[in-house]
Amino acid sequence: MDMASIYRAEYGRCVATLVRLLGDINPAEEAVQDAFATALEKWDAPPPNPGAWIVTTARNRATDRLRRELTREARHAQALLLHQQDEPQEVGPVTDDQLRLIFTCCHPALASDARTALTLRLLGGLEVPEIARAYLVPEATIAQRIVRAKKKIRDAGIPYRVPAAQELPDRLPPVLTVLYLMFNEGYVPKNLIRRGQDPPDHRDVIADAVPSPSAPRRK
Amino acid sequence: MKQYLLAVHSFEGAPARSDEETQRAYSRVDRVNNELQAAGAWVFGGGLLPPDSATVVRVENGKTTMTDGPFAETKEQLGGFWVLQCADLDQALAWAEKCAEACMEPVEVRPFDAEPDS
Repeated sequence: MDMASIYRAEYGRCVATLVRLLGDINPAEEAVQDAFATALEKWDAPPPNPGAWIVTTARNRATDRLRRELTREARHAQALLLHQQDEPQEVGPVTDDQLRLIFTCCHPALASDARTALTLRLLGGLEVPEIARAYLVPEATIAQRIVRAKKKIRDAGIPYRVPAAQELPDRLPPVLTVLYLMFNEGYVPKNLIRRGQDPPDHRDVIADAVPSPSAPRRK
Repeated sequence: MKQYLLAVHSFEGAPARSDEETQRAYSRVDRVNNELQAAGAWVFGGGLLPPDSATVVRVENGKTTMTDGPFAETKEQLGGFWVLQCADLDQALAWAEKCAEACMEPVEVRPFDAEPDS
């Protein structure tokens, strides 16, 4: 498997896990991107479990960054978060890093157009220009939506968790809408082919968006 | 723990409530307040008199001016508020639902900038 397909396949999963470990989206994305950059330098061939390699490297990167950047007190708080072995308290019926992050991205407190853009970016691993192309809006608009949504998640304290069973009837529809739009994203290449452009391969975005009960669950 | 402002939006010019309705809203709000206090989420809260009781104080270039009436001339005004202490937005939103139901007005939830010392 080449690096591009590994990136596509593992990016969302890795970011989701790092968000759980760090409790914040931006540092999680930076750590995962750092780890992929390191992988480009170090890998002769991909390791047997590239996702696990990326998560471990990203986690170490995040620890290094904390050592450098944070004040002593904030460092202690973050270190505690990074090294606690317990899973965060789960109130929902399912435990899954990606699912947890998808519920955060699709929180009803976020604007609906921001939910989709954020989910495609974080979990689908799509770049801003790709999302902009799919929505026929300027890149700056998408970039701004994503920045604003991430800021609100942090500032307003939108939690990273799968909602409790009794909340699900209200919280599920926006998630399903986003999954449907991610599924739709897979049809974009056709239009691009017609216009003679390079078709991006989004089949794995769709595969991720449509859970198959028979597929082995990767954690 | 984060602190959240739950701001009650009142609409100027909305038909006045009957005394009975007002009393019902008061007693429901009291119940929610007791619940908030029992849950340890309560920081502060209260209802405000109508915006015509407001005075805006401005200091510009060392000169103080006062104007009668509210800051913004809009139909929606702050009618009252709660300050709550919650673990995250979901908790604050759940309380906001109860508060909005009790006072029969929309409630805006806004996080405070600085985290309180925990």
